[in-house]
Amino acid sequence: MKKAIILLGCPESPSQTPLAVYATNKLTGMGYKVDVASTPSAKKLLEVSDPEEHYIKNKIDIETCLDELEEGDYDLLLGFVHKDAAVSYFVTFYHILNTKSLALVFHRDSEKLEYYGNSVIENTNADIVSARAYHNPTPLRVRLDRALDKLTKEDVTVKEKVEEDN
Amino acid sequence: MFCLETYLRESEDYEIHMTRTGFKDCAKFIEENAPEVVHVKPGEKIVGARIIGIPPVPIGINEEKGTIMLPYTKPCYGSATVEIPVPPEEREKIRAVGID
Repeated sequence: MKKAIILLGCPESPSQTPLAVYATNKLTGMGYKVDVASTPSAKKLLEVSDPEEHYIKNKIDIETCLDELEEGDYDLLLGFVHKDAAVSYFVTFYHILNTKSLALVFHRDSEKLEYYGNSVIENTNADIVSARAYHNPTPLRVRLDRALDKLTKEDVTVKEKVEEDN
Repeated sequence: MFCLETYLRESEDYEIHMTRTGFKDCAKFIEENAPEVVHVKPGEKIVGARIIGIPPVPIGINEEKGTIMLPYTKPCYGSATVEIPVPPEEREKIRAVGID
């Protein structure tokens, strides 16, 4: 089974928790086993949002996860990037995992949004979904859907090619 | 083995040069103020902790003081520049993983 890790940042942005639940649901539907790595405060928000773990089955501490992380542990990295520290964490996870990666870059301030997006572009080959967002998760959700559709099509193409080669 | 997290929790013998700032400013401070700078990959284990940042991540070494200066990032608090005393073998380990 393919494995994905969703990397959450500081939970001060209201869009992060609902989008984390949403993204986990989408990725699970795409056949991924999903781990969500977060700070203890972001984890508490997830626990209250999804008390019976219908959506998020595996919550892990971001520091413990980082300490034990190795290349090959995951097939997909999906990171929430809405602060300077989140850029650093995403880039660090990207360089350790060296796998297919998608950054969800969002902020209410357009200059910061551009700066965080450029930092990710300059330091990784990750796909980027970017939107001005704070309370309203919809702009980012729409772009996330498009990016995941693209990912599904790429997976299908790779699978077809492997079958052809065999 | 030396462990940065434990050290910062249990000791008071360290210096914080900057706090709650961006990684770029921390990196610039280290480049400008450390007598020797070694650059490492993000995710490299430095004094027992994975270093977080944008590549190449600068680590300052001061042989005279027996200290290293490094960026220290937490999700909700941004980046800080911390200077801590470390044994000579830890300074050698940092030089060994340098990408310069």
